[in-house]
Amino acid sequence: MTTLFTKIKWSILAAVTVGLGTVPVWGSDYAMLFFMLFCIYLALAQMWNLLAGYSGLISLGQQSFVGMGGYTVAVLSSYYGINIWLAAGLGGLTSVLLALFMSLFIFRMKGVYFTIGTWIFAEALLVWFSNWAYVKYGSGLFIKPPNDITMEAIYYAAFLLGVGSVALVYLLLRSRLGLGLMAMRDDDQVSETLGVEVFRSKLYCFLISAFVTGMTAGVFFVFQIFIQPYKAFSIDWTVKLVFMVIIGGIGTIEGPVVGALIYVLLSQFLAEYFSVSMLVLGGIAITVILVAPKGIMGTLQEKLGFEILSPRRF
Amino acid sequence: MEGLAQDILNGLLLGGLYAVVAIGLSTIFGIVKLVNLAHGDLMILSSYLSLFMVSALGVSPLLTLVAVMPVMFAVGYILQRFLLNRVLGKEMEPPLLVAFGVSIIIQNFMLMAFTPDARSLMSSLSLMTFSMGPNLSVPVLYLIDFVIALAVIIGQHYFLQSTYMGRGIRAASDDKYAAQLMGVNTKNTYAIAMGIAIMTAGVAGVLVGMTFTFYPHSGPQYLIIAFGVVVIGGLGSMKGTFAGGLILALAQILGARVFGPGYQLLCGYVVLLIVLAVRPQGIFGRG
Repeated sequence: MTTLFTKIKWSILAAVTVGLGTVPVWGSDYAMLFFMLFCIYLALAQMWNLLAGYSGLISLGQQSFVGMGGYTVAVLSSYYGINIWLAAGLGGLTSVLLALFMSLFIFRMKGVYFTIGTWIFAEALLVWFSNWAYVKYGSGLFIKPPNDITMEAIYYAAFLLGVGSVALVYLLLRSRLGLGLMAMRDDDQVSETLGVEVFRSKLYCFLISAFVTGMTAGVFFVFQIFIQPYKAFSIDWTVKLVFMVIIGGIGTIEGPVVGALIYVLLSQFLAEYFSVSMLVLGGIAITVILVAPKGIMGTLQEKLGFEILSPRRF
Repeated sequence: MEGLAQDILNGLLLGGLYAVVAIGLSTIFGIVKLVNLAHGDLMILSSYLSLFMVSALGVSPLLTLVAVMPVMFAVGYILQRFLLNRVLGKEMEPPLLVAFGVSIIIQNFMLMAFTPDARSLMSSLSLMTFSMGPNLSVPVLYLIDFVIALAVIIGQHYFLQSTYMGRGIRAASDDKYAAQLMGVNTKNTYAIAMGIAIMTAGVAGVLVGMTFTFYPHSGPQYLIIAFGVVVIGGLGSMKGTFAGGLILALAQILGARVFGPGYQLLCGYVVLLIVLAVRPQGIFGRG
């Protein structure tokens, strides 16, 4: 029975993945844009969820890595003529270096101090970049790719990152590190006594999250063509991710998928009214915390008793 | 060296303003154990409230405090009583994220209601100064900010130390269950504490609006200043909050003097990150 169920589950997942991966073949230009944004936000939300839902690190500073990834692509491709996809990958790398530097400060802080510390760091980066002549101050940079890029290529890159982030978190949680993380989430001190290296596990998650966030932002800014500190390092990025993950279900792998879909749908409907869509999202998120704190997917799992992508090995 | 004394004087006076920006955040952090991420936005909301009254009635911004303070008390009370009290528990995430949601809702509401344009509460006080020597003059507005800030902080301290309700609030903060056994209605007590905190934020909002220009998105900037003051000054200490305000303001103004005005905010952030990394409980904090 379980094997049949498992087979059906994996075939549906495979079908959805293939469907998503072939949007440029069967879909309109609009569908391609829609699902590209979905994949980008899915990857970013999944990374915030890895921190907040599994490692107990509530970060309000993901925009540090969004900006870092974006600016790495802009500088490397426009100033040095480096291949745009290589530049996006290097954007992940510079974000990891930034995360390492940040961790010197913020990993000494606990709980809410960590939360605000990440935010202050991002704000400091915003001020730094808008006063930095090398990146043309606040007026921003155009991203001039040295090689030809098509919308299809951007789509496939976004698709790889979106699906890759889900697979990465799934495999990560089923690994030794993931077991430790979940033990840590349930009881910090007991798990440390039993030999989980709390500090190192949290740091690894922070670095992984920075890497994927930086790379995803790099691809996003290839699509945007233009980057400016006030947009790239804006807290708005993290606001969206927080809302998506809360609504979808914090601490579930499926939650960010549902949350990202809801966000992209809503932002398309209310494309000309950004404020209204943020008001609506904020209202939904608060209601979710009050009524169903585990979010849509977390509550469904509790009620129906099954998970699509279970982090448990047994 | 020219103007250094003036910068230091301005920094000290500005520090008083920063202290009143922070006092409400510090109170709630200490009593309810919650970082109210909507603190800055509620402050800016009262700036707009005051602006609305100034343009409708033509009164001085300082006079609008008479209406702003009770309204903001009510806003804080309702926010805590009907929203935040429901999610207070063992974990810190839910109340933090609810406050974050409230912050974003207020910001976007202000953006729609008042447009993204810069506003300020101008009055005849803005340009007045009195001279204290050849190269030193006191901006009257900064002095008023400082005096009112001092009055608010001392007033709140007196309220918490000496009144029946104040003792109830402190009891609920020290040991919730013991206070409940002694007949303190902790839910109501938290709501009143939040009301008072947001009332001080209302005063801060009017003073900030008189002193600087503000936008619907100004809230987070003041939240970070408030948090910085709390971090530097330590929790639950009136003197610490005041000292924290002075240090942060001086760091910003002297930083701007050395590195240029673009780096004013950055210098504040760097001081803050260093303090957080070296002494997370604050320079003046206990423990």
